Amino acid sequence: MVLLESEQFLTELTRLFQKCRTSGSVFITLKKYDGRTKPVPRKGHVESFEPADNKCLLRATDGKKKISTVVSDSSEVSFGRSTCRDIKKSNI
Amino acid sequence: MPHYQAWEEFTRAAEKLYLADPMKVRVVLKYRHCDGNLCIKVTDDVACLLYRTDQAQDVKKIEKFHSQLMRLMVAKESRSAAMETD
Repeated sequence: MVLLESEQFLTELTRLFQKCRTSGSVFITLKKYDGRTKPVPRKGHVESFEPADNKCLLRATDGKKKISTVVSDSSEVSFGRSTCRDIKKSNI
Repeated sequence: MPHYQAWEEFTRAAEKLYLADPMKVRVVLKYRHCDGNLCIKVTDDVACLLYRTDQAQDVKKIEKFHSQLMRLMVAKESRSAAMETD
């Protein structure tokens, strides 16, 4: 899973859409993210961790290639436009 | 896995699901250009809500809703973002 910066993510996303024009699907997943980088331990003490509140994770795949990015408040507005702009451009 | 036919109903149920537990809910968009359809799924791994469309006019609605959810996720706790109604 490739973690990218916002702009790079958008470029790669456009590329995914172009690749899947003739066949295949593009999956985009959106989920709230609290900034954890370590997995929750099964037993033993939970490491002190400050959950961030203002981030979300955006992932995209075409079934083969996977890309992802973390969105926090500043870039959020441009994202909403861009992610679905590609779909509109492809014209259902 | 209920497939919603009415957009309004879908958005209402999806917002409710998200607000119940924001950390558990994920939103999945699936786009097939070859078949010309777009599907949006909102799930918390217990309940699952689906809306499928092949209409160009629905793309805008789905995009707006997707941005709305992103805005909710990214809003800080202190300022409670009120959901806009379409």
